[in-house]
Amino acid sequence: MSSPDRLAPPPPVYDRFTRSDRIQHLVMIASFLLLALTGLPQKFIYANNRYLDDLIDAMGGLEMVRVLHRWAATALMLVTVYHLLAVAHRVLVRRVSLSMLPRYQDVLDGLQAVRYNLGLAKERPRTDRYTWEEKVEYWSLVWGTVVMIATGFMLWNPVATARFMPGQWIPAAQVIHGGEALLAILAVLVWHFYSVHLRHFNRAMFTGLMTEEEMGHEHPLELERIKAGAAHPPQDPAALARRRKIFLPVSGVIALLLLAGIYWFVTFEQTAIATVPPPR
Amino acid sequence: MKHPPFAAPLLLVSALLLPGSAARAQECLDCHSQPGSSVSFKGGSSKDVTVDPKAWAESVHGSAGLSCTDCHAGHESYPHPEVKADSERDYTLNHYTTCEQCHDEQFKKQLDGVHMKVIASGNKKAAVCSDCHNPHVQKKITGEGGKLLPEGRLAVPRTCARCHAAIQAEYRQSVHGEALVDGNPDVPTCIDCHGVHNIPDPRTAEFRLQSPRICADCHTDRRKMAKYKLSTQVLRTYVADFHGSTVTLFQRRHPDQVTNKPVCYDCHGVHNIAGKNDPRKSLLVKANLLATCRKCHPDATENFPDSWLSHYIPTRDRAPAVYWARLAYQILIPSVVGGMVLFVASDFVRRQVDRRRRRLDHVEHV
Repeated sequence: MSSPDRLAPPPPVYDRFTRSDRIQHLVMIASFLLLALTGLPQKFIYANNRYLDDLIDAMGGLEMVRVLHRWAATALMLVTVYHLLAVAHRVLVRRVSLSMLPRYQDVLDGLQAVRYNLGLAKERPRTDRYTWEEKVEYWSLVWGTVVMIATGFMLWNPVATARFMPGQWIPAAQVIHGGEALLAILAVLVWHFYSVHLRHFNRAMFTGLMTEEEMGHEHPLELERIKAGAAHPPQDPAALARRRKIFLPVSGVIALLLLAGIYWFVTFEQTAIATVPPPR
Repeated sequence: MKHPPFAAPLLLVSALLLPGSAARAQECLDCHSQPGSSVSFKGGSSKDVTVDPKAWAESVHGSAGLSCTDCHAGHESYPHPEVKADSERDYTLNHYTTCEQCHDEQFKKQLDGVHMKVIASGNKKAAVCSDCHNPHVQKKITGEGGKLLPEGRLAVPRTCARCHAAIQAEYRQSVHGEALVDGNPDVPTCIDCHGVHNIPDPRTAEFRLQSPRICADCHTDRRKMAKYKLSTQVLRTYVADFHGSTVTLFQRRHPDQVTNKPVCYDCHGVHNIAGKNDPRKSLLVKANLLATCRKCHPDATENFPDSWLSHYIPTRDRAPAVYWARLAYQILIPSVVGGMVLFVASDFVRRQVDRRRRRLDHVEHV
């Protein structure tokens, strides 16, 4: 690897996100947007806002908005299941480093960034493959999705929920569902839009690639490692094939179980959706 | 027409002796106070046309000095013109328009009422003016400013009961109806909810969607509710909940939308509304509340009714899970988003400063 004739000039662009990552992101955008568009006007019906009412009507009326919200939620749950399996594949089969896990260094990086902005530090933190800001965003999304799916289940199936939980947990779930939604939307508008659109339009999530200059600014430690040839340690092809052989059937079964879980989730009870026909 | 043989001479004597419209009423009563007068209709039926002179004299019309012919135009002379109506009902339907002469406002209103719609659809039984206000005996029921007198309020359910007897019986047992009989001036009679004269059809989706406003008229009135220790938060808490927000949105955007989400009366009853202390029906009794939920959610079990906060605003003691969840997000949202905004702002400013410095450095080095 280190012999002089193999030291070609570094490529001008670096792979950052696989096609699978990018497709997940697109599905996420679509479902998140639809969830927000169909959820927010429902949350604020009591505010008697003409534009939010217009938005509901533009999407086909309140009952249609509720159906759309559930379809978008189903899409979000499907992409969540896919993501879990994709991460499992990365960790268990390809054995890539767990670069998204939060570390103590991320706390230090965050503090240094704040201090730098205030003029109390000389340099910005030198960040690795995932910056502390990206980790805040990713883990917020994970937390938010868990909360929304759990409380969403309770609102979707209130009669079933009340069988094994106190009844008042359902209105509490409604409060949490709405509060977490507002938090998520505002966080995306502030944190996500600033860090990948406003500060510098980061196209990596759409093209999958990053230029050397961008890498130098945002992921200097990763760039160093790539240049040192240490980013992707070589793997034993036989071991890789063996792990894949185990992973495929096991993940297939787990995927089927999770899909069955989603089916169970969305069809669990009828009364809250269809209930009785309207009074004469 | 059958008439007593002495009719003609009596009429003549009265006409000579008595002046004015009161005189003419007396003329008519000379015959019409005598029992036995009747009118035959073309369809074969007949009707007694006796008028009780005492009741007439005490009636609002009689005491105001109205003459019979003010309404019964064309009956000034005797023999009276031939009756063309097929039946008593036809006669009423042909002649009730005479009320418009004096009661223009009420007459116009009732043209838009549900009774008139029912008549137009072919059911002749629906009420017109004289069915509720018999003009020969109707007493004055309004006082100053057209406000209904206490006797008038008491009479309302009896009047409606002439046709709607079963509903009136239910109402009498209700918390409102029982109190009305005791002379309580706060409780609604039929017309306080249904209106009067231009009564809307209560079977429509429109009526259903706007019905919470009817109840809220009194039930958000602090002065009125304080007397009975009732909450005035009932509308607010209903609108804040899933059922109420749906109904409210439909009401303001699509007033004719059909919906299965409950309005006040779906849970509390329509005419048979019970008081909160009624053990058989009070929704404060958990079993009653569960039975109510099951009307729409047949699979509901014991815990389910608690998912409805019973018009209470969550506090530390009542629905604490909701209270704490709300408080948590009231703190979480501004602190998280505020923190993000602060960092983003500091980052943005710092980058502007850095860029400017780089540009200055560049200029100096040139």
